[in-house]
Amino acid sequence: MIEFSLNGENVQTDIDPNTPLLWAVRDSFGLTGSKFGCGAGLCGACTMHVDGLAQRTCILPLSAVAGKRVTTIEALGSADNLHPLQQAWIDYSVPQCGYCQSGQLMSAAALLEQNPEPSLAQIDQAMSGNICRCGTYPRIKQAIMAAALSYDATTKEGA
Amino acid sequence: MRIKNLSRRRFLKTTAVVGGGLVVGFSIFGLSEDPLPVVTESDGFVPNAFLQFTADNRIIFYCPRDEMGQGVMTGLATVIGEELDVSPHTMEIVHCEVHSDYANPAMGIQATGGSTSINAHYRPLRQVGADTRALILAAAATDLNAGINELKTEDAQVLYNGQAYPYGRFIETARNLDPVTDTPLRSQADFRYIGQMSRRTDALAKVTGQADYGLDAKVEGMQYAVLVRSPVFGAKLLSFDDSAVANKPGVSAVVSISNGVAVVADSYWHARQAATALRVEWEATEHSSLTSEQHRSELTSALDSDDETTAIDEGDIQLGFADARAQIDGSYWTPFLAHAPMEPMNALVRLGANDAEIWLGIQSAQAAQNLVSRVSGIPTENIVVHNLFLGGGFGRRGVATHVVEATEIAMAVGTPIKLMWSREDDIQSGFYRPASIARVRAAVDGNGVITAWDVKRAGGDITPGTVKNLLPAIFPSLPSGLANGVASTVGFLFSNLSPDSSSVEGLHENYKFANVQVKNSSIDHGVPVTFWRSVGHSNNAFVAESAMDELAIAANIDPVDLRLKNTVDNPRLNNVIRIAGERMREMKLPEGHHLGFASHGSFLTDVAQVAEVSIEDGIIRVHKVLCVLDCGLAVNPDIVRTQMEGGIIFGLTAALYGEVSLEAGRVKQSNFHDYQMLRMSEAPDIEVIIVDSKTDPTGVGEPSVPPIAPAVANAVFRATGQRLRDLPLRLKG
Repeated sequence: MIEFSLNGENVQTDIDPNTPLLWAVRDSFGLTGSKFGCGAGLCGACTMHVDGLAQRTCILPLSAVAGKRVTTIEALGSADNLHPLQQAWIDYSVPQCGYCQSGQLMSAAALLEQNPEPSLAQIDQAMSGNICRCGTYPRIKQAIMAAALSYDATTKEGA
Repeated sequence: MRIKNLSRRRFLKTTAVVGGGLVVGFSIFGLSEDPLPVVTESDGFVPNAFLQFTADNRIIFYCPRDEMGQGVMTGLATVIGEELDVSPHTMEIVHCEVHSDYANPAMGIQATGGSTSINAHYRPLRQVGADTRALILAAAATDLNAGINELKTEDAQVLYNGQAYPYGRFIETARNLDPVTDTPLRSQADFRYIGQMSRRTDALAKVTGQADYGLDAKVEGMQYAVLVRSPVFGAKLLSFDDSAVANKPGVSAVVSISNGVAVVADSYWHARQAATALRVEWEATEHSSLTSEQHRSELTSALDSDDETTAIDEGDIQLGFADARAQIDGSYWTPFLAHAPMEPMNALVRLGANDAEIWLGIQSAQAAQNLVSRVSGIPTENIVVHNLFLGGGFGRRGVATHVVEATEIAMAVGTPIKLMWSREDDIQSGFYRPASIARVRAAVDGNGVITAWDVKRAGGDITPGTVKNLLPAIFPSLPSGLANGVASTVGFLFSNLSPDSSSVEGLHENYKFANVQVKNSSIDHGVPVTFWRSVGHSNNAFVAESAMDELAIAANIDPVDLRLKNTVDNPRLNNVIRIAGERMREMKLPEGHHLGFASHGSFLTDVAQVAEVSIEDGIIRVHKVLCVLDCGLAVNPDIVRTQMEGGIIFGLTAALYGEVSLEAGRVKQSNFHDYQMLRMSEAPDIEVIIVDSKTDPTGVGEPSVPPIAPAVANAVFRATGQRLRDLPLRLKG
């Protein structure tokens, strides 16, 4: 039995502890916003936060998050209460097919948590693990810069 | 607004819906007699296949084309909303099911591709919008006891006498009126939405994790399947040993189907883990030892083969070389490429006794329906296709063999089956952009007029395989033998009579040459090939636009001037070349940066691009790209820009990294570590200039892909003196 916090709620599951967190969250807890893209930690579509840090969950065994705090796109913000990054993503018309964007947003949110005023080079660095096949990179970069300007420390996760 | 594919299915008789027992002709777009597969929570008023008005004032637009990122939901909602006078953001937009009214007017089947969606629906959907608005106005005039001329509309409301009434107020009366047809369309000067919109209607769902893709579909009692396919294309199964598989956690079945051996389990993870223990023997094929070197060598040899067909042969090539000021002769290589959409292929199939459902994101819901029917024997009218958002298409989701796989597994196992491909499956067992080689011999005279343009191309052809896969998908009862026979016939025609246009498109059409010939030798190495964003143009623009640059340099003519001189009969392309060329001359370059130019028209849209490149530590860095295009009237200028940006990055990935290679008949690459994608740090700044136009819109999903590889290659030549004639671009030494 593995226990952890999922989007602020204490949860437990008895599925195989080797199961990657991505599948546990999608199949056992029904949160399908995080996506499967490569199964090898190469594309970032599965990115969630574990104790506030961006993690590739397609290769992260469930056992590794025991007692930890997991946050998915579903808890980044909601339609009524968007995270500044989500609002910027809409304002800059970032998503095309949209499939990778949950992961992009989670990587960007982890970056702003650590560094609310990132330089372009720091954005490149933090986002280099997230692939977008539709080629939305220029707009992601613009949206992160815009969100950083409006970023309020009180929006911090868990605050 | 939340976009969601609703799951319930209701049939509504069009005739009953429009009322009065009126029989509505097929000739009216969106008003055929077939019962509509309208999916709704409350019927409301359904005046045609595309629109639904509910009593609680919702307006639902059934989008006939598939949203794969190109923005078609927003675009088509804008087109119909313009005449209906409803903002795209006021509507709910859903993917439609399968119905004859949803056929793509450009194709005759329900399919999305070829950058056709906006162009093909621009007038038909506006007409639907205008006729429906007229019907609502007529109903409002009756209900309000007013003259139609006293009524105005604004964003889903009828305005009268200082009051605003939602359209939904009039649907009971509208229901009993005869349908209106041939309503005059608005003039462009009166457009409120076309040319204005910026935000996408699907953005909110996609940034909150609420957009549903095939991967996210679930149904009661489903099991997960993974399929082990032959590593050599087309090899038949000899035997398999599942002794190490059956006892693995969660595994419920191991079954062989037409295309491999499926492992079925209670989760994807269990199925995937167990499948690694499966031992499978495959029959050898004639391509079992094929290597990329051998493949390329055979294509190169075919350049000298007389076993060829002619795309064009005009003027006198020999004469064209006679008075040349300069000549070139070079061969250009373009490799196989995988599409690698971020969402690997998947499909969820539920088969009942005489009904079925399938959930997936696909570029042809009709093909999915027909293939489920063909495999299961269930009649198409009893099969519901839940078409969800596509996690990327790029042509890959125009092929539906995974539907056949999922249906066969579901039949063998007896439960609903969710088949999921891995990324490795996607890279190694997929369909590919054909590889090709093309030799260009060309000459230019002292005035900068190209006097000879002689191209020979060799490589695989897309259409025969497409026909083989598509015929059963269009005609589900067509016997396999006949489909294969037609495919062979098509292949024979392309080998012997006339080239597959997908193979030679873009090799000469942009320019007017007095003496020109283009020939093709078809070579099939058993690698499945299909449409890849911009299709033949993706190979052939690299050929033609690299050759143009070489010709300009050989003749010491400015490359922009050379293109301008030889496109005087193609004014729209000529204009984007001129604008991009003027901007290019004004660009101020940092030390070590160099510019390359390319232009190409495809899918009725003309594009010119300038790439700013430097070489850093032996690596090609693309810093900026200027993209000038004429796509007619831009229905949503911001989405046009995103398509240009995305296409440039897609094409740049191919130019710098893209290569699927073969060893022992197998694809060598397997995942993103060796089939690399451009990352954010490598993405250039992109400036897009859309030429003002009042003509009907043309394609935007694909046309920005073709020019970028040659624009970069031409810049690399200026930076290094190296003429790179192979893709991907790799510096020597």
